[in-house]
Amino acid sequence: MFSRWNWVACGFCLLLNICSPDASGGLVQSCGHIIPESPVLALGSNFTALCILNESCLDFGNIYASQIIWKIKNRLVPKEQYREINRTVSSVTFNDTSSLATPLTCNILADGQIEQNIYGITVTVGLAPEKPKNLSCIVHQVSRFTYVMTCTWNPGRHTFLDTQFRLRYSWPEEIFPDCIPKDVNNSCTITDIQFFVNTEIWVEATNALGKAESDHLVVDPIDIVKPLSPQNVSLTSGILPTVLQLCWENWISDAVMMLKFNIRYRIVGDTNWLEVPSEDTASTRTSFSVQGLRPYTEYAFSIRCMKEDGVGYWSDWSEEKTGMTIEDQPSKGPPIWRIIDSSHSPAFWTVHLLWKALKPFEANGVILQYEVTVRDKSSLSSPVKKYNVTSTNHTLELREGTYEVTLVAHNSVGASPPSVLLIPASNSKAPVKNLRTLPKHDKLWVGWTAPNSYVLKYVIEWCLVSSSSDCIIEWQIALGDVQGIDLKGIKPFKCYLITVYPLYADGQGSGQSVKAYLKQDRPSKGPTVQTKKVGKAEAVLTWNHLTVEEQNGFIRNYTILYKTIDGNETVVTVDPSKTEYTLSSLTSDTLYTVRMMASTDNGSRTGPDFTFTTQKFGKGEIEAIVVPVCLAFLLIVLLGVLFCFNKRDLIKKHIWPIVPDPSKSNIAQWSPQVPAKHNFSSKDQMYPEGSFTDVSVVEIEADDKKSFSEQDLKPFDLLKKEKSTSEGHSSGIGGSSCMSSPRQSVSDSDEGETTQNTSSTVQYSTVVLNGYRDQTPVQVFSRSESTQPLLDSEERSEDHAGGADSTAQRQQYFRQNGGQDETNTDRPCFERAKQITHANEGDLVGFVQLQISGQSSQPLGLGMEKNTQEAAVSNVLQTCTEGQTVRPETVEENPLSVDEMPKSYLPQTVRQGGYMPQ
Amino acid sequence: MAAAEGPSAALRRRDLCSRGIRLAGKMRADVVDLLDAYVEQQGLDASASVAAVEGVPVAAVERWDEQTGTQRLLENLAAYRAFRALLAQMLEEQREQLGEADAGLGRALAAVLLQVSAFAYHLEELLRLESRGIPGEEGDGPPPPPRLSLFEQKLRGLGVLRELAQWAVRSARDLRQLGKPSSAAGAAPGLAESP
Repeated sequence: MFSRWNWVACGFCLLLNICSPDASGGLVQSCGHIIPESPVLALGSNFTALCILNESCLDFGNIYASQIIWKIKNRLVPKEQYREINRTVSSVTFNDTSSLATPLTCNILADGQIEQNIYGITVTVGLAPEKPKNLSCIVHQVSRFTYVMTCTWNPGRHTFLDTQFRLRYSWPEEIFPDCIPKDVNNSCTITDIQFFVNTEIWVEATNALGKAESDHLVVDPIDIVKPLSPQNVSLTSGILPTVLQLCWENWISDAVMMLKFNIRYRIVGDTNWLEVPSEDTASTRTSFSVQGLRPYTEYAFSIRCMKEDGVGYWSDWSEEKTGMTIEDQPSKGPPIWRIIDSSHSPAFWTVHLLWKALKPFEANGVILQYEVTVRDKSSLSSPVKKYNVTSTNHTLELREGTYEVTLVAHNSVGASPPSVLLIPASNSKAPVKNLRTLPKHDKLWVGWTAPNSYVLKYVIEWCLVSSSSDCIIEWQIALGDVQGIDLKGIKPFKCYLITVYPLYADGQGSGQSVKAYLKQDRPSKGPTVQTKKVGKAEAVLTWNHLTVEEQNGFIRNYTILYKTIDGNETVVTVDPSKTEYTLSSLTSDTLYTVRMMASTDNGSRTGPDFTFTTQKFGKGEIEAIVVPVCLAFLLIVLLGVLFCFNKRDLIKKHIWPIVPDPSKSNIAQWSPQVPAKHNFSSKDQMYPEGSFTDVSVVEIEADDKKSFSEQDLKPFDLLKKEKSTSEGHSSGIGGSSCMSSPRQSVSDSDEGETTQNTSSTVQYSTVVLNGYRDQTPVQVFSRSESTQPLLDSEERSEDHAGGADSTAQRQQYFRQNGGQDETNTDRPCFERAKQITHANEGDLVGFVQLQISGQSSQPLGLGMEKNTQEAAVSNVLQTCTEGQTVRPETVEENPLSVDEMPKSYLPQTVRQGGYMPQ
Repeated sequence: MAAAEGPSAALRRRDLCSRGIRLAGKMRADVVDLLDAYVEQQGLDASASVAAVEGVPVAAVERWDEQTGTQRLLENLAAYRAFRALLAQMLEEQREQLGEADAGLGRALAAVLLQVSAFAYHLEELLRLESRGIPGEEGDGPPPPPRLSLFEQKLRGLGVLRELAQWAVRSARDLRQLGKPSSAAGAAPGLAESP
């Protein structure tokens, strides 16, 4: 049957060859081909290819080898590399195959320079395999009977070609199947390994460019075994507290190989391993007793093995197995210390005995109880007291003295050696010297210089300094021959107070203390600064110390930083012990911002900003201004008071006018027909012509007053106004004063009932002012004829007022008695009035002539008003003073008013023919 | 002959003996383990009595200590060649019976077969060192055993393994005897030691 199908296949192939004359061609005939076909070339070698044209194409297309061009991909190969061998064959040579690429094509330039492809080949460039190196093998035990051998090697350079590696091994007369790596090219694992026969092992590497073979390794696989580690490891506590028996099973039978072992062990929790001496475990075994262990300690064990002769590999360590030794009696007494509290009574102590629990390797078991024995050494007769304690402290109430305390720890096996503590009456012995600390990673080393005397041991106390809680004391005992210990459990950034006491055989030294940090940091917060007092150029700053928790280290200094809003910052460094500082040379009335920084060795922290404003005035400046001002004011007031005091009569008179006492009045004796003896000549000299513009005498009676019409009284109103704006010129009540106000004169007559009641016969003076302000007023006084003695004081008060402007007024007084010529115009008018009063008193005749000087410069309005007033007054007067004599000078000087004005001043006549006393 | 051989030959001989002894020891251990697995796998009684297997040389021999080294080697070689053929047959039967169902037993049989081959190689090397011609294996080997029933095949396998275990012990002693410096290639009798 097979032969029949074979013939059919041959026949089909023959048919294809007929249809396709070119083997590589297919149905289309090619005009040539390239030799070699798809070569694999060594990188860097030379290479020559031939393009062979078919004869049939030569005649058909007139193409020859000389027309052949070679191309690599689309790149033309230089013609220097061509060689025309004959008319149908062209060759191309490459000296270095690294310049080759795929495809390499043979082309021809036909007529018209048309390029036509003839043939192309694929070129593969690579390297022959290198000889594999460093072949090594190891036999891994997989199970009790299963071993696999894994060999590894260095495959060498990359070949760029498909390279096959195969691991070969054989016995002299038996060749085993090759081991072909999967996915890798540098290792392979053989599963059917037989021991005790030398096996020859090697590696072959093969690719298209060649084959390479490693050195042959001849080895008995038993010599390269890495066995499995022993299994089922167990530990058994022995009779002795320092022994543990280790048992295990081996995976490899003695028939295959004898083993040796390594045993290591460690205390659980410790990382350091100890090893049993190798010579003790150099033979095959399944158990071993480990000695020299600590009692009542848990150990972890691990074991490994290898071939007894040491040829091969160690197994991995077995998984750890733990076991515990049995208890033993404590090896030493607990360290003991005491804290004596004698605060409540110096004669009695509260002694807190403290001791540390024994470390496991010292306790050698579970401590069941402690036995404390206290013996009073100062009194031999005192009984020894014993206490059984389960905790690690005990408190005693003892009388002050010297005591010996003994402490023994008990476990289930036995008692520890005793620990003895001597509690002396006083700690008067020499202390340690030069106490210092030094951080060492996570420990704090405390060192000291020993006292000169022999020290049994030292007690080092330390506690975490806290601002919020008491110092919880921790302590540790060091032997007398050491001068430094490491304190463990010290936290960084915390302040510790460390005290060292030397203990002597006969007493105890006083403690020396030092503060220390394991590690410092910058403070956790900065100081909060504020002002205590702010002045003009200085400010007193105050702050609180940081708490010890906030310090995080030793505060080396405080730094005050202050500045104005737009100024540079000023820095001041302050001693850390200070809590107050005075900033000076500040600018007054300026806003300052101040903050404070606390610094340790490891950094600084700044507190919050605080602002303050300096004062505008310094201390005492305000007082320096205010006090003089006040003093000046007081002085002025004082002077004013003194002045007023001096002038009290005048003021009194001004404020409280003296009301005439009717009981002291006299009946005026006045004869209207007899003119007064006036020395007009002198007055004429004083007052030039025209100075008297108007003289009016008003006689007002209480009963008649109402008979005057408003029109008639208008001039008096005008006078009031004039008086209010002019410098004071008035006539007082009674109209005797040149300074009496016309208003007063009028109002007195208008308002005062008393006046009304008593003034029915009083003559009032009327002042008619022609001056205004700085103009010289012309006053017309209408003098009453009162001869009351009270006028004397009244006129004196008026004299004061009138003196102020006496120079601005021209006044003429007519003394009724005419005994003296009034020629001195500079004299105060009140003096003159006084004289007049005196004259009135003497003559019992009173009249007043008021001269009012007209001013040519008087404003027109006012002048008209004045004239109107004068006219009105004149009318009034005229109606009331008929028959009165008019002074000739006045008449002459003021002819316009001659008809209207009375010719002379006529004293009022009492209707009943006499002068009525007021 | 021992005096005539060079130091390298003596070393080679000693090495071959040493290695052969260890191989025999391992072979015995493996065969013992294999016996347990075989008995269990084939459902046999470990105490079952098995008659002598045809074609398997008997390890027990009288006057063992009087044998010469060459004689020992030749007897060992003949035995192991026989075991090699028997184990190969057992392996074939095992594969036919169980297929790949119990690859472990097959692998163990193959391992023992390899050890037997290796031990035979050791013996041939020792014979070469003694300048003795190695007897050629019979071309067609022993005549093919008659077709046995399945149970008979199991019992025969059990017998082969038991006898191989015995031979492993004897071979170790033979090689130990050969490895002694005083042992001559000829007929120096060893100590009165019987397998």
